Amino acid sequence: MMKAKILGIFGLFVVLCVFMTLMTSDPWYNISTSKFLLAGNIQNLLSRTAMYGILSVGVAFVIITSGIDLSIGSLVCMSGVLLAMFLHVEYQPAVSSTVTQVSADSNQLTLPNAVTGITVGDRIRYSGGRRAPTQLLTVRSIDGPTITVEEDLSRDDTQGTIALAATVKAVERFEEEGSEHGAKIVVAGRHDLQIRDQLTLVHPTSGIKTEQITRVEVSMESTTVYLRNDPGERLTADWLAIPLKRHQRMPIPLALSFVLLIAGALGLVHGLLVTRVRLQPFVVTLCGLLIYRGLSRWLTDDNAAGFGEYSDTLCQVGSGLLIVYTNAAGETFGIPYPFFFLAAIGTVAAIFLNRTIWGRYLLALGRNEEAARFSGVNTGNVTLLAYVVCAVLAAVGGMLSALNSVTISPSSYGNFFELYAIAAAVLGGCSLRGGEGSIVGVIIGTAVMQILNNLIMLLKISGTLEYAIIGSVILAGVIADEIVKRIAAERRLRQRLQ
Amino acid sequence: MTDSSAVRRLEVRNICKSFPGVRALNNVSLHLNQNEVLSVVGENGAGKSTLMKILAGVQKQDSGDILLEGQPVGFRTVRDALDNGVALIHQELNLADNLEVGANIFLGREPLRRGLIDDDSINEQSAEFLRRVGLEVSPRTLVRELTIGQQQLVEIAKAVSIDARVLIMDEPTSSLSAGESERLFEVIHDLRRSGVSMMYISHRLAEVQHLSDRVTVLRDGENAGHLQRDEVNHDSLVRLMVGRDVSRFYSRQPHEAGEVAVQVKDLATSTWPAHRLNFEVRAGEIVGVAGLVGAGRTEMLRTLFGVDRPLAGEISVGGQTVTLKSPEDAINAGIALVPEDRKQQGLILEMAIRHNIGLAGLRRNALSGGFLNFAQERRDTTEMVERLRVKTPDSEQLAGNLSGGNQQKVVLGKWLALRPKVLLLDEPTRGIDVGAKQEIYQLMDELAGLGMAILFVSSEMEEVIGMSDRAIVMHEGRITGQLQRDELTEEGVMQLATGTAKSHEERKTG
Repeated sequence: MMKAKILGIFGLFVVLCVFMTLMTSDPWYNISTSKFLLAGNIQNLLSRTAMYGILSVGVAFVIITSGIDLSIGSLVCMSGVLLAMFLHVEYQPAVSSTVTQVSADSNQLTLPNAVTGITVGDRIRYSGGRRAPTQLLTVRSIDGPTITVEEDLSRDDTQGTIALAATVKAVERFEEEGSEHGAKIVVAGRHDLQIRDQLTLVHPTSGIKTEQITRVEVSMESTTVYLRNDPGERLTADWLAIPLKRHQRMPIPLALSFVLLIAGALGLVHGLLVTRVRLQPFVVTLCGLLIYRGLSRWLTDDNAAGFGEYSDTLCQVGSGLLIVYTNAAGETFGIPYPFFFLAAIGTVAAIFLNRTIWGRYLLALGRNEEAARFSGVNTGNVTLLAYVVCAVLAAVGGMLSALNSVTISPSSYGNFFELYAIAAAVLGGCSLRGGEGSIVGVIIGTAVMQILNNLIMLLKISGTLEYAIIGSVILAGVIADEIVKRIAAERRLRQRLQ
Repeated sequence: MTDSSAVRRLEVRNICKSFPGVRALNNVSLHLNQNEVLSVVGENGAGKSTLMKILAGVQKQDSGDILLEGQPVGFRTVRDALDNGVALIHQELNLADNLEVGANIFLGREPLRRGLIDDDSINEQSAEFLRRVGLEVSPRTLVRELTIGQQQLVEIAKAVSIDARVLIMDEPTSSLSAGESERLFEVIHDLRRSGVSMMYISHRLAEVQHLSDRVTVLRDGENAGHLQRDEVNHDSLVRLMVGRDVSRFYSRQPHEAGEVAVQVKDLATSTWPAHRLNFEVRAGEIVGVAGLVGAGRTEMLRTLFGVDRPLAGEISVGGQTVTLKSPEDAINAGIALVPEDRKQQGLILEMAIRHNIGLAGLRRNALSGGFLNFAQERRDTTEMVERLRVKTPDSEQLAGNLSGGNQQKVVLGKWLALRPKVLLLDEPTRGIDVGAKQEIYQLMDELAGLGMAILFVSSEMEEVIGMSDRAIVMHEGRITGQLQRDELTEEGVMQLATGTAKSHEERKTG
């Protein structure tokens, strides 16, 4: 039964691939001209299949228990948002303080605590006042929490911040392999700076510029800093440099684990509500859909969340390619990293479902929960497990997809993902009545969905028809499945009567 | 009693009906006169229910004729049958319990006024029909607020409301109390007087003797005989129903009972929290549990198997007190249950025989890391299919494709593969054919011989008397008595099963 279903969906997959290849070739028999087979297109398809496939494998577990999970899309969004929050990076001046009082009469700044790290003669930058303008100042004297400056302060104020600035001793441009137009800047004093910290360069009249640091050399009286980009011709030695320290909220492994942990906990809550409180899965996860979407938007104030800081590092996990083939012309074909995630997750899931007792329990209780319970299966815990797996995989898919797109908008990211995942699972042989499903089928089902999406783009069909086309294909698929099932059942019955 | 020249209201000629693997009816003929109560009796699987379903248009016969008032008819649907005045009252009632009594009586043919349902008319007319069946409730009462007996009367009122001339009742008293049954019999007498012909299906012989003008006996899907009112008595009925010597049908070898295998002390179940149950079953002993439907027998087994939580009391297996919070615990303690509802609780019909037999032992047989032990599963399946003589081409067949008897063998196989110490059976032979029944009796005897403790619930008196070393009789949640094998008589069991109340059965059989 299951094998027939997998063959069916695989057949559809092959037919679609052939159709797409021929339709996008010109003339149709010269497949080397096919746009469908372009490396970029295939890479894109693999990448999308991987990310949606992970979600589909997760929801397949829940569907096998005859449940449903509608919260996937919102969980995808929340995982992306949480990861962005946990990995949020701030740059703060190495020596800085808030200011509680600005007095124009006496040219004094008052800090909340006694002044540390600043000495007489140092240059400081005042900014962030409500009325007093941003100014570069020189320290004349320090008395406890009060700093008197050389310059005239034009207005009183009650807020703002100061940061220690260092004088720039020398500026030198260089060109190095790999980094274009870098700049080497010698700054007075010893500064505890590291790669990926930043340097803000300010000039009283010429402006302000912040650049990332790529190398640091510290000597007795000065610090030499290499900047990724040349701040420009105007930069000269009379500028001031404010060293900025990079603060990352959490190390990457910790952030990833937290997101997975939170998703797992939410899945556990779903499962407990379904198995212990006996709420309907549809209702529980519909509420999840609303709650997680709302929380995501609230957490970010509805602003885009992103991973710009990590575009060369962590984001590569979502968007990078493992190059497996380079042709004579230097064109390459690579397998997107997320595809390896899908392969690993799919393999583990398939082994779990077909080779372990819990997989068998899952299939059994999906068919007949009561009979499974009467056979000594702890149906509650197995169902719980399915919801946890689904939520965790939603988080994995959500994070990969977010890293792939670098910036996500919490109001739209992940919308309808749950329906794509459920549709792929159904297309791949899962029955919403439960007890039926295969991981291979689900993954092929996801691929079919992505090819349909690709079809609309490559064949220049109006994008507004996308949902209608996908809907029709799924409907046709399940109708065909049902018809085949009935014919098979009838044939069996007739055989038995003879 | 019966005037042979009376008009035959309904006649059935040479009806045959087969289901995959089973010949349910083979050349069955019978007739029903005007103003007559005809009882149709037979063991489970004799074909009574199938016959009734054909008469009521639920199923279609393969061959044979049905004549109504001498005219051949063929009911394609229930609607057809109703339009011709033939109504079936199912064993399981067919009421929408979220609707009012009146709405149920008129379901599907609601009187309309200006396009809307005319509730006034419904209530007015329903009140009249309810009066005729002697049910004193308002037509506005919700059906779910009624007792089972009252719901049965609503079904009859519904049949009366369509002016049914033939009323077929399938085991109507199976879930009624003695008082409710008594009430039903009065209604039956009234209806007969007002010209309704009735077919009464029951396996309660005392009721059959009390009510019937004539009796038709079916056995294994065939006519076994017809009895006139003056020929109807217990022995003649049993002889025709069983068709063989009862004592040989139930195979028992004498066994020595061993140590106490399971002991129940002051057990309170959630359905009957006020009553405490005390009993024990010894290794090698077969103990039957008799009682009317609703006496709390199934609940007792469910509690012993950890499906329901005990409210109080102590259960010990092999001398060790056990806490049974789930079937898993019970299985680990060496208890197995063959449940009452085979298709819903015993088997996963859409899974292969092999998967069903292996299911309970998955954890026990699992390889390290929780991986399935396919080899062990195949070994167990092969062994069980052979030992229990499951009739199937191979063990990859879906359990749902097997006949009732073979399905029950698969359920038994699932448990025997675990080698339990205590085997609980709830109505082990319900709905299976006579041959498989006998095999199951033999198996029970054999297992007891191997030292298993067997506790089985049965509503078939013959079975309890034939198979038990000792019988526990229950009535409304309490154990009203225990009878040793040599004390077991139908009257004795029935008296205990109906409690102290002077029931209809007692008077008739006493």
